[in-house]
Amino acid sequence: MKQARFWLLSAAAMLLPHAAFAQPRRPGEKAPALAQPATPPPPPPTSVPTDLGDIDSPAPAAGASSAGAAAAAGSTGSASSGSGDRVGGICDVDPSACAGTAPVGALRDRDVKADIYAVQQIYALRRGRFELMPYWSFSLNDQFVGHPGPGFGLNYYLTDVLAVGINGTFHQPFNTDLDFNFQNRRASRVAVPLNEYQAVATANFTYVPIYGKFSTFREFIFHYDGYVVGGVGVLRSRPIPVIDPDNRTFDWNSNVTMTAGLGLRVFINRWFAVTAELRDYIYVEQVENTRIAPTASQQRDPSAFKWIDEKPLTNNVQAQIGISVFLPFGWDYRLPK
Amino acid sequence: MKQHFSFRETTMKRIAFAAATALGVSIAFAAKPRSAAAQEIQLTGPLAGAPSVRNLRLHREGRVELAIGPGFTLLDEYQRTIFASGRLNYNLTDWLGIGVFGGYGAASLNTDLTDRIDVTAPRNSRTATNIPPANGPSFASQTGKLKFMAAPQVIFSPFRGKLALFQKLFVDTDLYLHGGAAFVGVDERKDCTACTDASAFDTQTRIAIAPTFGLGLTLYTRGLLSVNLEYRAFPLLGGWNRSGYDTRGAGPDGSFPDNQVNEDDRTGKFNQMVFIGLGFSLPASPTVSP
Repeated sequence: MKQARFWLLSAAAMLLPHAAFAQPRRPGEKAPALAQPATPPPPPPTSVPTDLGDIDSPAPAAGASSAGAAAAAGSTGSASSGSGDRVGGICDVDPSACAGTAPVGALRDRDVKADIYAVQQIYALRRGRFELMPYWSFSLNDQFVGHPGPGFGLNYYLTDVLAVGINGTFHQPFNTDLDFNFQNRRASRVAVPLNEYQAVATANFTYVPIYGKFSTFREFIFHYDGYVVGGVGVLRSRPIPVIDPDNRTFDWNSNVTMTAGLGLRVFINRWFAVTAELRDYIYVEQVENTRIAPTASQQRDPSAFKWIDEKPLTNNVQAQIGISVFLPFGWDYRLPK
Repeated sequence: MKQHFSFRETTMKRIAFAAATALGVSIAFAAKPRSAAAQEIQLTGPLAGAPSVRNLRLHREGRVELAIGPGFTLLDEYQRTIFASGRLNYNLTDWLGIGVFGGYGAASLNTDLTDRIDVTAPRNSRTATNIPPANGPSFASQTGKLKFMAAPQVIFSPFRGKLALFQKLFVDTDLYLHGGAAFVGVDERKDCTACTDASAFDTQTRIAIAPTFGLGLTLYTRGLLSVNLEYRAFPLLGGWNRSGYDTRGAGPDGSFPDNQVNEDDRTGKFNQMVFIGLGFSLPASPTVSP
């Protein structure tokens, strides 16, 4: 019994120093020395690798040679064999604890930018990801003809704030000539030239200067961003014959359009978001001639009497409500939080 | 016609093919094993169960807010209205407030259609009821205008947060919804039975009641001031005669002109406007949550 008590006390005495390694170091206390390689690496720019070494690596005796260090490392297991990227410790005991993190050696040797970013570990990173954006569009500034329609956008983010992409909206079956036009024509005998759209397609740059988050009832947090978009493309439109509908028919015209807009994207998770966007498509429209040729033969011949009269610069302001799906769905952050 | 049908059919097939392709790609990406998964941070230890936000500046709770600025109507047919408008709120909590929005129609601007009608509409027996005579008032004088608005309302602001502009400038924000009843002063052509007289194109003002709702975004400074962008819809479901035309009242379903201007000629309109305001809140400093 006495012998058993002796051995238990001896074992406890041997374990005490090892337990003390996990305690925080007091200010001014010197850190235990690490094994020095034959060619010492450049001094670490931050304290992160040093701290990792303190925790994860066994502390060999001061002044041990590189061969001794290699031997000691080799004795700890395969994770540190040869390469020197890993120095053992918790990564050997439980490899899952180190999954997804770079080897300690690589972390130690790399260049670290000393900048501290105002926003770190942004909830939804965009760089290198594709964004699929189906939406429904409707017009905001045409009180005569509604131009709703489905659309689809595809963006690729070159950086977290800059993307290139394309988008297109299909309007043709959804144009609505409102009853207001008929009532106005009947009452005033004044016909307003009307136009309908077939489709619009543009190539865009997207810039994301605004990033933020909302808390809902101080419980749930939604992340969002605000972006501006601009580009160039083609808008296909044609006049709806209302001045002389018995004789005139119009084909679709392809008009070069400039586009500019701004949008809001609210993230539901890291790859799915709800979007609202305001777009202005600026183009030169072809408008039906409000005058009619005096003779029937001239009325039927567009070369004898122009069916198209004015070509005004037109703003087609559209609101687009949709969703965004980012691919790939996930990523690894480059720096720890 | 056949060609048109085949074009539409082809187009629909293309849309269906594109949709199926997009769906297939999405499923393929979703089914692929994720080599890079987002790092969800599971809170344990002393932070478990802690509130998601601490030391939140309560810009609304217990504060009175006065916001003033212009309001612009959208999608107008004959007259655009610029309101000199303001809003007075008292916020019972940080997410619920009561208040009133008001505006005075400071300017009514003709749309291009109004000017075009005034210049080009023929003056004859067919238009005598609807267009003033050549030596009479302008067409714009008979068109409907919004003169004022008063809207008691409830403000619900469940979304509270902040935004970073260029990762440099940080601003507290909230996104809110509002709803209430709007009392709208509508100036429209007065009722008439002998509607071709020059005096029959005068207008009269009445008060119409409409539901009003919308949403807005507030950007707060640390203290007194805030900037507000708000969308407001106030559909006049009972209708108003925006053109001053006689368009209804006769025929089996009342959809033909009856040579009289009265309430039959009113049509519903989904009125909308945008308000941009500069806000002042009292007390000048917000409280801070625990």
